[in-house]
Amino acid sequence: MNESVRMIVVLAVIAMVSGGVLSFVYDWTGAIIAENQLRQMESSVFEVLPGAVRVEPLGTAPSTLVQDDPETSREVEQTTTQIFVGFDAQDKALGYAFVGEGPGYGGAVRILVGVDGESGEILNLAVLNHAETPGLGSKIEEASFRNQFKGKTLDDPIAIGRDIDGISGATVSSRAVAEAVRRGFADAAAAYERSR
Amino acid sequence: MGALIKDFLNGIWNDNPTFRLQIGLCPVLAVTSTALNGVGMGLATTFVLMCSSILISILRNVIPEKVRIPCYIIVIATFSTVVDLVMHAMLPDLHRVLGIFIPLIVVNCILMGRAEAYASKKPVIYAAFDGLGMGIGFTWALTLIGAVREMLGAGSLFGVQLVSDTAATFGVFSLPPGAFITVGLLIAGMNMISTRLRKAS
Amino acid sequence: MELFLIFIGAVFVNNFVLVRFLGICPFMGVSKQTETALGMGAATTFVMVVTAALTWLLQWYVLEPFGLPFLQTPVFILVIASMVQLVEMFLHKTSPGLYRALGIYLPLITTNCAVLGFSLIAVQGAYSFIQSLIFGLGAGIGFTIALMLMAGIREELRFADVPKPLAGTGIAFIIAGLLSLAFSGFAGLV
Repeated sequence: MNESVRMIVVLAVIAMVSGGVLSFVYDWTGAIIAENQLRQMESSVFEVLPGAVRVEPLGTAPSTLVQDDPETSREVEQTTTQIFVGFDAQDKALGYAFVGEGPGYGGAVRILVGVDGESGEILNLAVLNHAETPGLGSKIEEASFRNQFKGKTLDDPIAIGRDIDGISGATVSSRAVAEAVRRGFADAAAAYERSR
Repeated sequence: MGALIKDFLNGIWNDNPTFRLQIGLCPVLAVTSTALNGVGMGLATTFVLMCSSILISILRNVIPEKVRIPCYIIVIATFSTVVDLVMHAMLPDLHRVLGIFIPLIVVNCILMGRAEAYASKKPVIYAAFDGLGMGIGFTWALTLIGAVREMLGAGSLFGVQLVSDTAATFGVFSLPPGAFITVGLLIAGMNMISTRLRKAS
Repeated sequence: MELFLIFIGAVFVNNFVLVRFLGICPFMGVSKQTETALGMGAATTFVMVVTAALTWLLQWYVLEPFGLPFLQTPVFILVIASMVQLVEMFLHKTSPGLYRALGIYLPLITTNCAVLGFSLIAVQGAYSFIQSLIFGLGAGIGFTIALMLMAGIREELRFADVPKPLAGTGIAFIIAGLLSLAFSGFAGLV
């Protein structure tokens, strides 16, 4: 009996200390991790919206930026997880960038698309993260593939085999990118129009 | 003092976890596509190994025999989660590359092996040196494998390009098959060196 | 259809051992005879499917709602360890024959990183409950196939004249490399 009590007490104490330490470290690092992700997202937005010097997420104040969380977006079947508006040096809205997600070969492919606010043309596209096969599917990161999306508007089909050439040997990955663009484009454009 | 140094050196060569004991092999293969990743993974594991060895050694008279394995698991899991979170905050790029293999430190056989075979029986200072030695042994093995694979697969070392950009490299060494083959050949190399050393002495 | 793709993906394309490098220790350690390899594979597959169900429930009904995602690793590994123990006791009571066949492999599964790795990947991929189960089954079968292939080759290898420094694990790694090369032919299948 005494032995069992001791076993339970020791295990419980170790587990409690472990939980305490972890929640402390989690609190401490949580803010830094969030900050890092934010910085990274910002620099990606600058990349797809040339000329922008300031970024603001659509509909929320800068201080309450929503975290980029693929889990929650998938549950509610959103077409785009986040929309950002880019401003130039004169604080004039240049255009917007949206995060799109398509089903790839090793998991979801997440991309960021920058769109010109005036013409509605895609300015640039960046791959945020993917788990595609190195050497095959990972070629979606290459400029020669991404550049095909430049200049496309909502009126274009944006589909592999129609106006976009897929990467040979990586059809699923190429399709995932095109689908990610298509899924989010209309909603993001509508949201941007409403905001102005 | 001599015993301490012997324990320390043991992990680096004679009982090198990767090349001699051949335990904890998953990260050895998975994250060594570049030398830098090897260093990062090695140091993360060394940290967890040393901390858990020290703590388990301190608690060795408190932990009841029957529940020792769950206790070790909790201790090791806690330290690996700490490393996971801190690395995510401080070194996000490295964290992205090492990915799932950071939380998987917890099932690295080196950790349970050392906890069970060494740290639970020896005083703190010995356990610390044993953990450090094993960790360094693991780190240099990972770095070496990473360096070989990076040079052959990408033509660079620690990110510095060694050959011209357009030169053809053995891409397969960056991919999974190259990992197995590199480790196999390095093990053979270690065996040869050890045999020579034994003959010489 | 999607379930089928997940299954094929886990068995061949992203084979846990040869492509994802999970579960290398048992792959090298328990692959000397096809019979033991089959036993180990079966036991691991079984534990994987059971853990798939449990970790899925824990992640989405306990850790996530209570905001405790940072406890994931300790919680999952404890679940796996106790599951292995439970399976062992259960088999011992109900099916002594199976217990004798799998018994010695069960304790080894706790430290098989394929099991924990698979639970973490399933959570990251936000799989549904059924998808997780299928993924676990595929991962286990893929592990078994890799183990059996390796064991089959190593049995034949006894008659080969291997250079001395390569004998044992050295040559095993080279073979694993060739197997992995063969499996990379599945890339692009799904």
